[in-house]
Amino acid sequence: MSSRGGKQKKGNVTSEQEEEEQPLQAVLVADSFNRRFFPISKDQPRALLPLGNVAMIDYTLEFLTSTGVQETFVFCCWMSNKIKDHLLKSKWCRPTSPNVVHIITSDLYRSLGDVLRDVDAKNLVRNDFILVYGDVVSNIDVSQALQEHRHRRKVDKNISVMTMVFKESSPGHKTRCEEDDVIVAMDSKSKRVLHYQKTQGLKKLQFPMNIFQHGSDEFEIRHDLLDCHISICSPQVAELFTDNFDYQTRNDFVRGILVNEEILGNQIHLYVTQDGYGARVSNLQMYDSVSLDMVRRWVYPLTPEANFTDQQGQGCTHSRHNVYRGAEVSLGHGSQMEENVLIGRDTSIGANCHISNSVIGNNCTIGDNVVLDRAHMWNNVHVSSNVEIHQSVVCDGAVVKEAVRLNKQCVLAYNVVIGPNLSLPEGTVVSMHHPEEEEEDDDDEFLSDDQEVGHSKDKTRQKAFNPAEVGPEGKGYIWKASMNDTEDEELAQCLWGLVLNPDPESDSESEASEESQDRSRSVSPEIDDVNAFQLEVLGTLQRGLEENIVCDNLVLEINSLKYAYNITLKEVMQILTRVVLEYPFQQQGTQLTTLQYTGSLLPLLKTWSPVFKNYIKRAQDHLDCLSAVEELFLEQDTHQTAMVKVLMKMYQLEILEEEAILKWFSTGATNDKSRQLRKNQGVRLGQICVWGKPSQNVKGYQFGHCGSLILLLQKETTLLIFSDGVQRKQTPCSQCHKKESCGMV
Amino acid sequence: MGSAIEAKTHKNMPGADKEADLTERIEAFLADLKRGGCGTGPIRGSGETARETTALLRKVTAQARWSSAGDLMEIIRKEGRRMTAAQPSETTVGNMVLRVLKIIREEYARSRGSSEETDQQESLHKLLTSGGLSEENFRQHFVHLKANVIEAINELLTELEGTTDNIAMQALEHIHSNEVIMTVGRSRTVEAFLKDAARKRKFHVIVAECAPFCQGHEMATNLSKASIETTVIADAAIFAVMSRVNKVIIGTQTVLANGGLRAVNGTHTVALAARHHSTPLIVCAPMFKLSPQFPNEEDTFHKFVSPHEVLPFTEGEILSKVNVHCPVFDYVPPELITLFISNIGGNAPSYIYRLMSELYHPEDHDL
Repeated sequence: MSSRGGKQKKGNVTSEQEEEEQPLQAVLVADSFNRRFFPISKDQPRALLPLGNVAMIDYTLEFLTSTGVQETFVFCCWMSNKIKDHLLKSKWCRPTSPNVVHIITSDLYRSLGDVLRDVDAKNLVRNDFILVYGDVVSNIDVSQALQEHRHRRKVDKNISVMTMVFKESSPGHKTRCEEDDVIVAMDSKSKRVLHYQKTQGLKKLQFPMNIFQHGSDEFEIRHDLLDCHISICSPQVAELFTDNFDYQTRNDFVRGILVNEEILGNQIHLYVTQDGYGARVSNLQMYDSVSLDMVRRWVYPLTPEANFTDQQGQGCTHSRHNVYRGAEVSLGHGSQMEENVLIGRDTSIGANCHISNSVIGNNCTIGDNVVLDRAHMWNNVHVSSNVEIHQSVVCDGAVVKEAVRLNKQCVLAYNVVIGPNLSLPEGTVVSMHHPEEEEEDDDDEFLSDDQEVGHSKDKTRQKAFNPAEVGPEGKGYIWKASMNDTEDEELAQCLWGLVLNPDPESDSESEASEESQDRSRSVSPEIDDVNAFQLEVLGTLQRGLEENIVCDNLVLEINSLKYAYNITLKEVMQILTRVVLEYPFQQQGTQLTTLQYTGSLLPLLKTWSPVFKNYIKRAQDHLDCLSAVEELFLEQDTHQTAMVKVLMKMYQLEILEEEAILKWFSTGATNDKSRQLRKNQGVRLGQICVWGKPSQNVKGYQFGHCGSLILLLQKETTLLIFSDGVQRKQTPCSQCHKKESCGMV
Repeated sequence: MGSAIEAKTHKNMPGADKEADLTERIEAFLADLKRGGCGTGPIRGSGETARETTALLRKVTAQARWSSAGDLMEIIRKEGRRMTAAQPSETTVGNMVLRVLKIIREEYARSRGSSEETDQQESLHKLLTSGGLSEENFRQHFVHLKANVIEAINELLTELEGTTDNIAMQALEHIHSNEVIMTVGRSRTVEAFLKDAARKRKFHVIVAECAPFCQGHEMATNLSKASIETTVIADAAIFAVMSRVNKVIIGTQTVLANGGLRAVNGTHTVALAARHHSTPLIVCAPMFKLSPQFPNEEDTFHKFVSPHEVLPFTEGEILSKVNVHCPVFDYVPPELITLFISNIGGNAPSYIYRLMSELYHPEDHDL
């Protein structure tokens, strides 16, 4: 505890902000909630898989500690006991650790959303916190991002809820994986995220237009960003996850915030860094790249020889061409470690081996004449002579017998035995767990360790190994497409995350997600909600009239209703317009004459004009309002004549602008009825322009035979507005082909 | 960690708190060392590191539990090993540990009444008779030893505080009017040295920028602020410009036991160019940079940082096809060096071995 005291003192010296005094907290999610690493992660949780002979979670914790995090909450679910044991033994749980680690386990977490809801429920975070996964490898200094985040929150009162950290890296970079590819539209000045989408191999991307319509005049659409999966979150993030129980992932959250930005008023910002390294090991392809990057010292100072985990005997030496050797390594005669090789302690390598770009764990034995290229071998692996391994992962305790060849992207899971004399085709996954057994306990995936192991033992006894697949002395089952099971095929591909052709699953997913996005943008959420909202608004207005409530308060009430029913701003306006226009019918029955109707409506409009003005601001709002008016009068066709009076009143009250009315008039009518309506109104609309408030541009008006409105403009030209929505600046005759009946000469 | 466990077992003793605090300080220092030097060289100068190390060792002396000089030396050695392992390239830490060990030896000898000087004399006879017995001798208990050792460490700290000034004071003897001086990269000591000379003399400084970190730019800015005529050149132009240079004055990260240097990348180029043109090469190095290390100890000698500065990570596809390295240090052999200027005066490279034996006890050379 007193270590924190020491740190705090340091913080105070650098900046005397009050917020600094609170310890920086982090939420580390030590579970991926997906099964990309199956079947490897069946035996070991992903966070504990070794990367450069150090568990991935240690990288994440080191990253957090070096950024000044003083309190970390580690959330574990799958195999939480193992993670807990690991952490308790590590340097993070020593009393002198500057970063106090709390381990929280539960079998009930099924997604990031669950974790954050739990954070909220337990009230763990008091201030801005850093949210990372347990498989993030990074050396980015986020203090700058943190400062920006705090500044933003201070300047505009908690509008920014999250700052995502991105690393600049051009497309085609090896460490960018296809499935995590994002495209981001941002406001270049405020660094606000306007649109965030995973590209998922799509060639065409769509951006909603409205994101470019407000805010500043500079936008950036960036595809050169690598998502580091590090986010700085405000405490509200946890609350928002609680409020929206359908948010499962960060992706859901970001999308939700962006789509509902108008309603909730929350914004997301991003921080792009050029130096530093940050990547999430989300599949084996990323594992391969990140591991190589680490060996090539991109993550300096987190290098293998730094032994940042402070474990006894883990240290190794670094020599030229990035060759790292642990203690007690023996290398046979004529063996070459070409470049980027990391060899763990007590490993012995036979004669005439060629090793490049590989990581070999502790206690491995490698025979003679072995070729290893981009091999990732974990601990206690035995490789006999004349073996070739290319870009593959060999897990703990696996045995590779004589003359075996592992082609690209093979995976040998825990304790598998392969060979002798066998060549595994590209992308083979071998595990001691039978794939079918996997299907059976699909549902109880989150069972505890012991049960799982018991299960698997029973089943392995039942089924024999296939010598054709794993060799005469082999032990293990092949997980691959030949199982005639589409799900497994995807699994195998997912493991490595195919680079060239994204699997069909992710394609369809992206389409689906786009659809859902579209829907949420244009279509109203729930019809019941809208109806209920309408009734509520009516009630509110009624009460407002009876009790003489100030318009400002009415606005407040409507706003709160908006949140309660999850209504967009556009709908609020349309519903409000409709409610007001229907108000006389509501009160006095539908048998009103047009005269009575206008008589009772116009004062109402005047009373409530501030309410309207509050909602109708942008040009688009005006049009939306007009379309709502139009819709209503189309229904109440007996009162169509009243429309012009309504419009004029609204125009006089400055609720609607002249341009908007003209624009509405000129925009395409959707059906016959509305065309008819416009034709009827056309005559009167002209009156508005001249009667209402003399406009500077228009000096007179006339009507064409076909319902077109002709405005005589100041500058000798005439503007023709047709009810079919066309505006022309020519004489009408040539357009309508009826010279004699046209109003114009 | 040993002392932390100890602290737990002795909870009701008044010293327990102190010890917990001590281990905490040590851990924080270790963590700092490990993270220090991200890319652009150490964030703090090595002088500061030396002072911090010494202050920490003083704290260890004051607060750890020990009864005899032998115990204390064992504790210091243990902590010293961890500190040097945390950042092998930062040799000042190890140097300071050795200095403190030497201080303990001297104070112990003084307490016993014998003079350490006699111990220093190396002779064949001594070599044969010594060995083993010295360690046993340190078991004797003296009441004032602690106070004396702390006093001596304080003196060392005062010495460290003054090193830069001491070196800068000698500037006028070496820099004359209208000379052209070349330096490379940024060294706080050289900066102070040149600024001191600029108070009385007018001269021209050429700074090699020292890619990829380009600390030379910062150096040039600082010098020109002190109204010294400064020119920045690219590293490739060093040889071309050398013919016009009267003197090369550089700093270094470490002075090795053979009189060679481990200095920032590009220094070797400068030294070779200077040799070609027979330009004198002067190294400003405070005594605490003197390390008993020889240049053949391969694994700790080099330091490779993230290749980001050489070829940025943003480059994209090319990175998967090439291997990029970014070494930080150059080795400069002693025959290229004309003179060392340290806080105790100027010395030739061939004299370094002598300084070494004065500063450090031969038995401590490896911790």
